[in-house]
Amino acid sequence: MTAYILKRIVSAILVTIGVTIVTYLLLHIISPSPGRAVLGLHASQKAVRSWNKTHGYDRPIVVQFAAYFWKLLHGNFGYSYKEDQTVAALLAENVGRSAYLSGASLTLAIVVAMPVGIWQAIRRNKPSDYVLTGAAFTLYSMPSFFLGLLLIQAFALSLHWFPVEAAQQTGILQVIGNIRAMALPIITLAAVSMAAYSRYMRSAALDNLAQDYIRLARAKGLPERTVYLRHLLRNSILPMVTLIGLSIPALLAGNIIVETLFNYPGLGLLFITALQNYDYPVLLALTLIGAMATVVGNLLADVALTVADPRIRL
Amino acid sequence: MPPVLEVSHLSTHIQLTKTVVQAVGDVSFHLDAGETLGLVGESGCGKSMTGLSIMGLLPNGGHVVGGSIKLEGRELVGMPGAELRSIRGNDVAMIFQDSASSLNPTKTVGDQVAEPVMLHRGAGRKEAHDRAVEVLTLVGIPRPKERLGDYPHQLSGGLRQRVMIAIALSCDPKVLIADEPTTALDVTIQAQILALLDDLKTQLGMSVLLVTHDMGVVAGRADRVNVMYAGRVVETAATDELFHSMHHPYTQGLLASIPRLDQDNRRRLYSIPGAPPDLTSPPPGCRYAPRCPYADEKCQAEEPTLVEGGPDFTRNGAGGSAPGHAFACWHPVAGPVVLEAGEDQGGSEGPGQGDALLEVDHVVKEFPVTAGAILQRKVGAVKAVSGVSVRVGRGEIYGLVGESGCGKTTLGKVIVGLETPSAGKVRLLGRDVFAARGRELRKARRDLQMMFQDPYSSLDPRMRVGSILREPLAIQGVGTRQEQDRIIADMLREVGLPANATERYPHEFSGGQRQRIGLARALTLEPKVVVADEPVSALDVSIRSQVLNLMRRLQRAHGQSYVVISHDLAVVKYLSDRIGVMYLGKLVEEGSGDDIYHRAAHPYTAALIDTIPLPDPGKERAKTEVGIRGELPSPINPPSGCRFRTRCPRAEQRCADEEPQLAAFGAGHVAACHFPLQEPLEVASAGRGASGHAGSS
Amino acid sequence: MTIPEHQVRPDVEDRPEGDFALVQTALAPNGGAASGAGAVAEGGEVQVLASGWRLALRSFLENRLAVVGVVVVVLMVLFCFVGPLFYHGNYLVANPIFANQAPGAGHPLGTDPNGFDVLAQIMHGGQASLEVGFFAAVIATVIGTIWGAMAGLAGGIVDGIMMRFVDVLLSIPFLFVVLILAQKYGASIVDMSIVLGVFSWLVPSRLVRGEVLTLRVRDFVSAANVMGASRARVAFRHLIPNALSVVIVNVTFQVADAILALAFLGFLGFGLQYPHIDWGDMLSGAETALQNGYWWQVYPVGAALVIVVMAINFIGDALRDAMDVRLRRR
Repeated sequence: MTAYILKRIVSAILVTIGVTIVTYLLLHIISPSPGRAVLGLHASQKAVRSWNKTHGYDRPIVVQFAAYFWKLLHGNFGYSYKEDQTVAALLAENVGRSAYLSGASLTLAIVVAMPVGIWQAIRRNKPSDYVLTGAAFTLYSMPSFFLGLLLIQAFALSLHWFPVEAAQQTGILQVIGNIRAMALPIITLAAVSMAAYSRYMRSAALDNLAQDYIRLARAKGLPERTVYLRHLLRNSILPMVTLIGLSIPALLAGNIIVETLFNYPGLGLLFITALQNYDYPVLLALTLIGAMATVVGNLLADVALTVADPRIRL
Repeated sequence: MPPVLEVSHLSTHIQLTKTVVQAVGDVSFHLDAGETLGLVGESGCGKSMTGLSIMGLLPNGGHVVGGSIKLEGRELVGMPGAELRSIRGNDVAMIFQDSASSLNPTKTVGDQVAEPVMLHRGAGRKEAHDRAVEVLTLVGIPRPKERLGDYPHQLSGGLRQRVMIAIALSCDPKVLIADEPTTALDVTIQAQILALLDDLKTQLGMSVLLVTHDMGVVAGRADRVNVMYAGRVVETAATDELFHSMHHPYTQGLLASIPRLDQDNRRRLYSIPGAPPDLTSPPPGCRYAPRCPYADEKCQAEEPTLVEGGPDFTRNGAGGSAPGHAFACWHPVAGPVVLEAGEDQGGSEGPGQGDALLEVDHVVKEFPVTAGAILQRKVGAVKAVSGVSVRVGRGEIYGLVGESGCGKTTLGKVIVGLETPSAGKVRLLGRDVFAARGRELRKARRDLQMMFQDPYSSLDPRMRVGSILREPLAIQGVGTRQEQDRIIADMLREVGLPANATERYPHEFSGGQRQRIGLARALTLEPKVVVADEPVSALDVSIRSQVLNLMRRLQRAHGQSYVVISHDLAVVKYLSDRIGVMYLGKLVEEGSGDDIYHRAAHPYTAALIDTIPLPDPGKERAKTEVGIRGELPSPINPPSGCRFRTRCPRAEQRCADEEPQLAAFGAGHVAACHFPLQEPLEVASAGRGASGHAGSS
Repeated sequence: MTIPEHQVRPDVEDRPEGDFALVQTALAPNGGAASGAGAVAEGGEVQVLASGWRLALRSFLENRLAVVGVVVVVLMVLFCFVGPLFYHGNYLVANPIFANQAPGAGHPLGTDPNGFDVLAQIMHGGQASLEVGFFAAVIATVIGTIWGAMAGLAGGIVDGIMMRFVDVLLSIPFLFVVLILAQKYGASIVDMSIVLGVFSWLVPSRLVRGEVLTLRVRDFVSAANVMGASRARVAFRHLIPNALSVVIVNVTFQVADAILALAFLGFLGFGLQYPHIDWGDMLSGAETALQNGYWWQVYPVGAALVIVVMAINFIGDALRDAMDVRLRRR
């Protein structure tokens, strides 16, 4: 098992390096002359060239990348000339709020989706299954911003239960404390993953229900509830672990949308602001962080699965 | 004494999206205390559904639509769920065919065995685990305490099946329903499990309902037998009575269709034409009538009922059947098929003497096993085939037999070039076939064709049968399109399929028909050698004999050489002129069918023959000991010296130190054993340092 | 230490299908005239069933939701592409005088803050959304199928390198890259389709590779090899046609995903650029519109978006089930 986990970690590191190279190259192609982006369209050619020279952007791309990568290893994500701050400082300022939003939504999605999926599988083709499947299908086909709009209309504008905006405080603890303001963003972000997870959970549970060991469990005389809790649940959750790991990019995308919609100052909103300002160092850093989150998420899912599934223990 | 279990007029239907399958119809039987009742029939006959109906474990859409099931007088049909659950796993227990999928992969063996004890006995965790150790010991699992913490995938198939039996026995059930308990296992393990079940039955005084497709399994183990066909019980009798003086033509045909070890293989096998009916709309009269040679108008119109002495017993007193012998037939037969002498289909007079067509020369095939975090180091190898030499003469059928994992299929793949041997050569007419490259290789392949085991995966589902049969001709560039059409039409006629089959897709054919197509495809190129890998293993008995007969007939007609690979010695013996027995990658014995069956020299061969269940109650009961102890060792780390020594009753130190070489025991009969069951021909010069060449003809 | 199962136990065990097999075979929509009586050929008659594709089609048509899905998509295509021939609303020239008008005569769905007619915008935005969805899906499927098939067929180190590359790209969050690219390159429909397509081929490539790898070890492929078939023949006659069903199912989901992705881009303000509009674009000011009570600027277009995506997902789901029916009988 340790050998497998070690192997997984090594491959995760390799993928991260690959991601860094690809992302760096991509942004270099899009914005070959950072000086132009910083100084604006009206700056003279000469000024741009000399800016590029002072900041080392006239060197060969390989050298530039090596320098960037070396800094990255030391936690230096570059400098945002637009915001006149280090990227690291910008990230630090916003990362807590985004992590809270993502974490809370992911937890909510899992906590709701798992029992719902199992329930549907057990009561398949009954009215309750059809209703829930229909709901999941609708949510799944709905862009998260539209769902957010509907929730804003219903619970903020019409019923006035919740504010239109998310919590605006700076301190993360205050944000967490402001449950009323965070309810809509968290629900919006959770809803779409919830739909995907419950659909997957339902089909995983259905697959397992058709397995012989469920029949054997029934042949032992176990009550249905025990069959589900003791035999069905664990085997159906196992494949979910991988799915959750794989769905991290979607979660990050959801963060961008929800933070924009609810004006919540996190990494997603930072990304959009940076994009509007052509602030490429920030965009590069955020894309890399998103990629790393994905890699780490997949790694954790695999490791969790290795620990949880006796069949993979070697 | 009243019966423990009484099933009367049980009918079970399975509701599908649009149709209803009448899986079980009007089935009645009883099971006495301490008795083993066999329930036999081909797949789809409703035998498993009967078992599941008793347990109340029918699949989705399945429900009992009529009749009653009484356990010690208590009606199970319509019993409330909670009450039924207190009986299930407690008074009635069931074991299933596939232990690999029947055990929960994420729970330990101990927890799974203890579960019913905690449920039905109200035992605590500690007590329940003590009981688990007890039953695991009972079912013969070595070091049961250590096994408690194991997960199912860590156990071998045989051990897993024992665990499943342990689960069933944990609450001392009165009735055990065993649904194909040994079908997924190798013969040697099957014999162990069957002996265990028998033993436990007497020890614990249970009644056993043994559900199986294998007449050999019921012959030795059942007191009485019910034969099912198309959802009906067609005949029921005491085991001896049923095997020796059956009255239903289906029972008669089924028994006659089974290739038997002690049978003269020059005779055609009896075969039942056609296929079982579709149970969504069964035929009106006798369900067997469409396939029955004795059927008349009455059979087509009126369904006979299962009655002691027959439905028409007043008229035909001639049956003279024993009490308890019931059958559902208007025109009963009297006893087994008597094969007429005229059915001889031409002998095997040892063809191809001295003329080796195919030579397999010291073939070794190893699959690397890799490990390591970053670099894939090779840490070992699965030694699938370890230096096997075989010679096949012109027009000869060579049978290769052995348990799963013995390397026979790998060897077959090496012969047709699907696997490259790690060492050794395959020669056809003296030429190294796979030394060629490109166009030469393609041409060479023409002479070596293959017939596959699984009729469902061996035909491309997206191609019409015409295209499937044309493909080999197109690849090899044989003939013009018209000539190809003619060859295809001829081939279809030869394998007994209608000419319009060319327009149809594989999914429109039954399993047996698909195997015919597979055979036709292998033969269209007129190869010199056909390798048939388990050609009939996936087929039901009545279909199996049709395909076996066809294979023999076509071999006689075209004179090709065959290499027939099977785990079923009876099938191999029926088809083959010469047989090679493999064990763990080695050829341990080779000889004619009679050499192998009557004069086996290798203890493995003898034990293998001993473990094969014969469809003959007398011979089965006469067997006293379980053939082979233990399980197949890992092919990654095979035992030193003789690979069979770990399971051999005659093994001594020498067997571990020194690998036995093949020695001659008669013309064309060789075996590799230090302590053979027969005296070798030349004791003095017994092949020491000899090439170990198997071919001796 | 990993040992592939098939290497340890090279022989497939004899496992006659249990009685349950009957349930599966009986699923085929076949009248079930029992064959056998008066058999012409020794091997018995052949049941006349439809071809695999026709079976799939039949199962597809039996799925009511799928039919609804097809109808909705067809209606929506007609609405977006034929509708403008009959309904001429202003969606090009800003006209503040008519800004934010409620639905009424002349503007059945009202106007937006620029005075554009919402109904006309939905039609033209729909054209863009459907076109981008379709083209992006085609691009992604073509690249993905070729890449996946090549990796699966090549095997070994080539396969390893190709799939590691997919792993790397798959780790970069899709929306991040697409946003950055769309801002610079995603002005027109074709450009946007390329941007979306070029980053959506990863999942189909994995699917196709997986399918090719499973097919490669099937007996009918071995049979072709034994006959001496060339690699190209095996690939084009057996592997790719059989992997096609996976591709077909996937392409539908790709369309739905691309339409959603375009909507995200538009909503965030990085969608198609004037004079093109897309549905996401129309919703970028939706929050303000709702606060002002201009519901007609939000709900009709949102509903169109959800309905189309849902209809396409229905079709995809039904196709997957239909392909399963086809495979079930193999």
